[in-house]
Amino acid sequence: MGIKDRLKTGIQKNLNQRYIKKLLGIIALKPILYAYGKTFPSTSDKYLNIFTIESLKKAYSDNNRPIGYGSLFLPYEMFYALGITPFLPEVMAGFTAGLGLAPQTLKEASSHWYSQDLCTFHRSASGAADLDLFPRPDYIITSNLACDAAQKSFYIHSVKHNIEKNFYLIDVPYRYSEESIRYLAAQIKNICTDICSKTGKKLDISMFEEAIKLSNELRKWAIKVGSLRKNLADYPPYFNGLNFILPFHGLAGTKEAVIFYKEIYKDLKKYSDKQNKESSGKNKPAKRILWLHLKPYYRNEIFDILYRENCRVVFEEINHVYWQELDYKKPFESLARKMLSNFLTGSIDNRIDVTLKAAHDYKADGAILFSHWGCRQSNGGARIIKDSLKKINVPTLVLDGDCVDQSNSSQGQVKTRLQGFIEILNS
Amino acid sequence: MTQDIRNTENLDKTINKINDIKYFFENTLTSTNKKAAIGWFCTYTPEELIIAGGFIPIRIFGRKKIIKSESYFPINFCPYIKSGWESLLADADNFRALIFTNSCDGMRRFFDIASKYLTRIPSYLLDVPHLKNKDSQDFLASNISDMKMFIERLNGKKIDKKEIENAVKLINKKRKLLKEYSGIFNKSPHLIDIPTYYKVMELSMISDPEIFIDDLERYLVFIGNIDKTNTKNEISLQPDHRNSPEIMIIGNFIAEDKLWEMLSKMNLKLASEDFCTSNRYFEKQVVTDDNKDLLESIAERYLNKPQCMRMADLGSKLAEIENTIVKNDIKGVIFITLKFCDNMLYSFPLLKQRLNNIGIPVLYLDIEYNNFSEGQVKTRVQAFLEML
Repeated sequence: MGIKDRLKTGIQKNLNQRYIKKLLGIIALKPILYAYGKTFPSTSDKYLNIFTIESLKKAYSDNNRPIGYGSLFLPYEMFYALGITPFLPEVMAGFTAGLGLAPQTLKEASSHWYSQDLCTFHRSASGAADLDLFPRPDYIITSNLACDAAQKSFYIHSVKHNIEKNFYLIDVPYRYSEESIRYLAAQIKNICTDICSKTGKKLDISMFEEAIKLSNELRKWAIKVGSLRKNLADYPPYFNGLNFILPFHGLAGTKEAVIFYKEIYKDLKKYSDKQNKESSGKNKPAKRILWLHLKPYYRNEIFDILYRENCRVVFEEINHVYWQELDYKKPFESLARKMLSNFLTGSIDNRIDVTLKAAHDYKADGAILFSHWGCRQSNGGARIIKDSLKKINVPTLVLDGDCVDQSNSSQGQVKTRLQGFIEILNS
Repeated sequence: MTQDIRNTENLDKTINKINDIKYFFENTLTSTNKKAAIGWFCTYTPEELIIAGGFIPIRIFGRKKIIKSESYFPINFCPYIKSGWESLLADADNFRALIFTNSCDGMRRFFDIASKYLTRIPSYLLDVPHLKNKDSQDFLASNISDMKMFIERLNGKKIDKKEIENAVKLINKKRKLLKEYSGIFNKSPHLIDIPTYYKVMELSMISDPEIFIDDLERYLVFIGNIDKTNTKNEISLQPDHRNSPEIMIIGNFIAEDKLWEMLSKMNLKLASEDFCTSNRYFEKQVVTDDNKDLLESIAERYLNKPQCMRMADLGSKLAEIENTIVKNDIKGVIFITLKFCDNMLYSFPLLKQRLNNIGIPVLYLDIEYNNFSEGQVKTRVQAFLEML
């Protein structure tokens, strides 16, 4: 049994916060972390895992830094500027799937009256919170960006921990306009000011400057990675861009995120150079897939099937750099602009523009929209996305499934549909 | 009709008509209005602007069976939205335009679908903030101003201040009368039955407001006359509710005739309600002030009316429900939601917890739209009432 499987089994058998803390305490020790890092096939993968563990260790350690729960699309630069350790329950829900804990967390959520019709990212996170698997938050910041779920489920967390007064909703307007930017920037500033007044600290603009500069560095390297991928014909088998949610959002504003994106760039560059040298033109080119939405985070066959059938995911919409460079002299306005630029806010046209451009830039032969159960905002636009891609002759597979709950996704059906789609691509 | 009810003899003859919608709302039901209609969906839509623009605001109830709509939306999607889209696919030409709000993820996607696949009917989405404070109020006022421009473009005519003032007065009057009616309904379950009450509510949202107000005023005079002669409740048109427990129903877009009939037959004493199809629609007036911009006053009303679960402040919503329970001596709550309504579904765990804390039992029901399975719901409601 490898180190990863041992970790998984250990946590499954000892599902409590004390064990998680103990485990993180051990695994985050430098020699062990180094040994663990060696089990990954690439430097970027190694860093992704190391940074994830370190960020979790910070959240679970009993230091004096305040913990802030945050929903996925927040400008995490503000957390780092305020000295708050972020903790992302939705990302943790992905871990519950990967670690095989989702059956327990989802069961717990059901016992607390969370309907089975709700998104399993939020249900699983709520179940984990009810099982007391998460560290106690000092602040909770969420938004209505992308979907309704976070603002509601996170409020429940605030009630559980009796910190309703430290619950903040960033109300992201529907349209991108100067008035929307003002409305949003004022909210971000007010939240930061309020948190500072509660912690007794002065709002330190230089901390925002630092976080924003690092965020711009991340942006620069993420764009470079994206540009490289436009011409990448084949991919390393271990590479999966759908794992980059934490660094792309949760680590924005840190050195770690910059290191990570630089490493991905180096990994892919090496691979691309090697491929260019060896390229003989004899091999049949792989079918290029554009991936929309997320993926199942439990063990599944989807990507093995795609790889076997000579299909490569050449881009994932979640890795699209949607915002302009941030102006560190105007931190609140910049962060507001960043949030409003997210293609999941407002009209479906924003998402379609990104999808069509990505299909064109990454020369997609087909697109797969993973239809995660209960994700109304994404699935409600599936028909329009499919029709829009059809107009540019890119066939789309709307693949029904569940990112977190394996029992809500028929592996056989997924396989059959995937194979049918591959046949279309090859015809 | 006015003549009839002034006469006690005639009153005796007509008293049984109190639940006869066709009799009292004949003008509303038969009016063939020459004004064009604008369709709307959510109670955060300021009807005042639609009226000021010279249109009739008609809420789309979506009474069509979902067939074609299934190919536009996923299976697990709001059935009201699907049904609304089905209606538009069949009858969109009845509307000059459609106004949506960003009430929820479902509505945002509904607007997208309508904008893409129903291009001949102009659609607009009003951005309604989730927060309730001065900034969000100003932001909503500005968005309402943008919506006003959309309406102005429809007929190429500017809407002036006087037109908005008149529209505010008209809709305020409708709200006042509906509130009065609702109060009578809650206090006099021996007179008005549940299906009648919700039918009147529906009519208030789908009819020319002037004609409806006229009919409702006459209806209220009639009910008032009965009340005057019925001080000891000797007239009882409904089964005896005296020993029935007071029930509060909380829901979203619940407009299910069969459900109302079922509850009525079960002798349910509906003492309070919280729905998109009743109090969230008519509660709270627009308060105008010479020193305040009219659109700001409108924004103030819409942000502070009884809120939908979509709003950020779930805590104050739950407190609002708790107060209603105490004030009306509620013995049990029926929480009824259309399937796949995330905002409602996420509110239930906390609501359940709070009601447990104050010892109020709650029944959870989730239903389809236009496809009511009476048997199952009836059994559960019966068991709940017996338990109370």
